[in-house]
Amino acid sequence: MTPNFAVLGIATPTRHMPRLWIPLFLLWIPVVLLSPLIFLTLAAVAIVTRTTVWRLISLCWGILSGLPGTDVRVHADGNHVLVRVL
Amino acid sequence: MNENRRQILEMLSTGKITADEAERLIAALESGPATTVGEHMSSIPGSNGAAAGTVKTRAKYLRVLVEADEQMTGRKGPTSVNVRVPMQLLRAGVRLASLIPAQAHSQLDEALNRHGVPLTLSQIKPENLEELIDHLEDLTVDVDSRDVGTAKVRVFCE
Repeated sequence: MTPNFAVLGIATPTRHMPRLWIPLFLLWIPVVLLSPLIFLTLAAVAIVTRTTVWRLISLCWGILSGLPGTDVRVHADGNHVLVRVL
Repeated sequence: MNENRRQILEMLSTGKITADEAERLIAALESGPATTVGEHMSSIPGSNGAAAGTVKTRAKYLRVLVEADEQMTGRKGPTSVNVRVPMQLLRAGVRLASLIPAQAHSQLDEALNRHGVPLTLSQIKPENLEELIDHLEDLTVDVDSRDVGTAKVRVFCE
């Protein structure tokens, strides 16, 4: 499954920002609109790397599908940063 | 008291698992379907799963924990980084390496060797990653120096 939301949370010792839910599924709209351009770019990359476009699409899809579950938390100097892909 | 919870507390009291591991086990028991402690024990790296009748489950995430003290980072208070990467993403990343042109492999291998990483990129395949995951139960790297401070790096699958 492709990522639907990204959660971003930033907290500093003086300020606490509420967690931001970024709707990644909305990115499908520009992706669909730009699909001819994306396909041409993939074709160019396929020629350079001597592979097929379908293989490239499969690889990109694999990475996209692997993103949900990614969780990065950093705590330094009293600041907290959280990035989560759902 | 629930039997599974009692079993976890007994393992904690006998020193078979740490307090952190016990907390994770209890959380797993609360969130997951009705399973035995042994099934959850396989997700605790370094724990003696056999003692609790472990059923080995497939790891879903790679977790990297880094903890460094003030002396090491030069910042106020301790610094910690906690990264969880899905295994599926790692597998996709390894497959992506197949896009590297064959002629670039030797140059990359040479550069890696020069920087102290004796790795042959062309030999890294998804099957190798599975083997690596199987063997990577728990890896802890302690970086301790009087001059630059203390840091702890822990890599494990869960």
